Amino acid sequence: MSTRQASQYDSRRRQERMRKIPRSLRFYVAASTLYAATVFFAVQFIYTIELAQSGIVIARRDSGDILSSIQIVSFIVWLGISLIAAVIMHRLATALAGARTAEATKEQELGSIFGLSAAIAGPHDLEQIGAYFAAAIRGALAPDTTLALIVYDDVLEAFRTIATDGPRAGALREKNYSSIALPSIVRTRVIDHRQPLVLADNAANADAWRRVVQELPAIGTARSFAALPLVSRERLVGALLLVGERADDLVPDKVQVPMIMGQYVAGSIHSALAVKEAEARAEREALVNRIAQRARASLDPEEILRGTVEELAKVLDVSRALVCTGAAEEDLAITYEWEAEGVPKIGLGAKQVPIARLAARLGRTILVTDIRKDSRFSDLRGPEDQVQQDVIAAAATPIRVGGQLAGALSFSQVDRARDWSADDVRLIESVGQELRVAISAAEAFGQQRMAVAELERLNRAKSDFVSIVSHEFRTPLTGIQGFSEMMKSEDLTLDEMREYAGDINKDAHRLNRMITEMLDLDKMESGRMQLHREAVDLNTIVTEAVGHVRPNAPAHPVALNLDPHIGEMTGDRDKLTQVIANLLNNAVKYSPKGGEIVVSTRVEGSAAHLVVRDHGIGIPEEALESIFERYGRVESRATRHIQGTGLGLPIVRQIVHLHGGTVWAESTVGEGSVFHVTLPRGAASRGSVAAAAS
Amino acid sequence: MIRKLVQTAMRSTSHEVGFAENGKEGLALIERLRPDVVFTDVAMPEMDGFEMADAIRATPELAHIPIVFMTASVQREQIEECFRHGAAGHLAKPFSMTELRARVAQFSKS
Repeated sequence: MSTRQASQYDSRRRQERMRKIPRSLRFYVAASTLYAATVFFAVQFIYTIELAQSGIVIARRDSGDILSSIQIVSFIVWLGISLIAAVIMHRLATALAGARTAEATKEQELGSIFGLSAAIAGPHDLEQIGAYFAAAIRGALAPDTTLALIVYDDVLEAFRTIATDGPRAGALREKNYSSIALPSIVRTRVIDHRQPLVLADNAANADAWRRVVQELPAIGTARSFAALPLVSRERLVGALLLVGERADDLVPDKVQVPMIMGQYVAGSIHSALAVKEAEARAEREALVNRIAQRARASLDPEEILRGTVEELAKVLDVSRALVCTGAAEEDLAITYEWEAEGVPKIGLGAKQVPIARLAARLGRTILVTDIRKDSRFSDLRGPEDQVQQDVIAAAATPIRVGGQLAGALSFSQVDRARDWSADDVRLIESVGQELRVAISAAEAFGQQRMAVAELERLNRAKSDFVSIVSHEFRTPLTGIQGFSEMMKSEDLTLDEMREYAGDINKDAHRLNRMITEMLDLDKMESGRMQLHREAVDLNTIVTEAVGHVRPNAPAHPVALNLDPHIGEMTGDRDKLTQVIANLLNNAVKYSPKGGEIVVSTRVEGSAAHLVVRDHGIGIPEEALESIFERYGRVESRATRHIQGTGLGLPIVRQIVHLHGGTVWAESTVGEGSVFHVTLPRGAASRGSVAAAAS
Repeated sequence: MIRKLVQTAMRSTSHEVGFAENGKEGLALIERLRPDVVFTDVAMPEMDGFEMADAIRATPELAHIPIVFMTASVQREQIEECFRHGAAGHLAKPFSMTELRARVAQFSKS
């Protein structure tokens, strides 16, 4: 108890002592009896002296009895009058004293109220206000009354005890009451309707009392209870809880003063709360601004996420922070994660993010106080959600960019349950807002960067193309230019003329073929190539193609191993011939002289499988895919002398895909390569062609 | 084709011309003929033009023979590479027969 309170008790006791003395009737009776006797005997004495001086002697014997009886009667009458006067005096004194007491009490109460209002006039924190208030109302209550001042803390979204005093203070101190933790009767009457609740006697209000005790065991064996709302400017800022040890310690009259004082304090509490809220808001805004600034300063999404999420995670004091991205709820996958020390990582790309998914599905922030007791996640104990098993509390908010889901921000606590405050939520949502701006900016930047990279790639491909094409074109051009030059300027025989013209023609054809190949590939890649479908026999096409290649590659024996059950299929004869010719030409080009080439066909279910095997230089494993891409030729010392535009295999792939088939290569460097082509044996479906062409 | 072209173009001159399929054969031919000038492609099987040029430079009795590379590329890097391998000259395809003869004349005189 403070010295201030102690001195109040002393003054009160002094006042009480002073009030008791003049109220005693015995005092008045004794005083008036004494007064009556003194006055009577004094009068008798003066009267006797006066008679003696004037020489009047009253014959005692004759008239003494009469005289003394008159004197006795007079004395009694006088005494009676004095006693009446004493009673009247006593009444007057009592009334006067009563009036003085009431005045003093009023004065004291007014003094307390003014003292309190003066004390809390300046800016104070809630605890100071609570202490002043407790000290001020103490004087208006029985000394053993317990009081607790609870304040509605917007940040905590709960009532917080800011001052307690009295024998039961310990049970009420250090306790936060969420609205629902308060006794329902208090909640309804005091919090919702802002009416005071006074239970003067637990015996008289047994029913209400039982309900209060049930939900607020701290008041236990007390006899009376009161809960008074503190309202300022239409806002309920808190409540005063009073617990009396005796019946009628707390009656409506006695709680008047605390009620009045409560109104003063409510204003102060309101201001203190407003200041606190403003400070919290300023702090939050500062953090969000910091995050936003950082986000704007960087266009690297990874850097933005690292900076912002880490900072927010630390401010929120969570165990883990996840940024998930995905355009649909089921696509959400972790793209960034932060963990406090000792908390296990989940792993980038993981999709076990049920809380983030729920937030994405509902399109709003989701709060989980304790996942073990949360029915929304009761089915989360399956092995596929292993990674979530350590999570106890979590908060997640969706990130939307331009109305479309872009991801979700999820924070979790693995060590404890957590009541997420409104402030936490505001912070998470604000950062989510900033992140969506940053993410969309970064995405736009990323797309632009990809577009630039694509343009650079195209540019490189174009210059590669120009280089390859010019290289490949220059060789036949040398022949055309050289032979035509000689035909023009030298004396040649007719046979020589014919021979050179034939050479020129051959080179011109070669040029033409190269140009056609390039245009064809372009057409196929852009889906503008139409197949001329007809019934074809793959074995016939293979035999014809081999027949064309053999004369040009006399050093390479070509063996055929054809399955007669292949039968007819639907396809473009010229294009399929081109496929086989390109594969055979490659086999010849990349094989040493004498290297055998084997072409075989076989039936595999509904597909025809064509295999071209050579014993050439082989293809490194890492190039087995890229050789089918435009200009994907393997450039090495072993291949630099081999002419080629690098278009042969891309053309093969396009034609095979247009037919709804597949093509791939297997190879061992130094031993040779095997090219596989599968083609559907039935009529190629238009659907698959269209899909391949697009 | 290029070989046939060069052979035809040189027919009207007094020079003796030898031809080889690749670098390896070319090197053997050079050792045998000791020519005034060597014209070579870069891309050849077995041993390419650069390797052959290096081998010529490494053989003291052949090192003085000028080498002219015939390349389809006109890119600076490849032309520079030719000179790094000791090229005395460079002929970019397609080249004219006049140009070829002029080069032959230039190196056979010296």
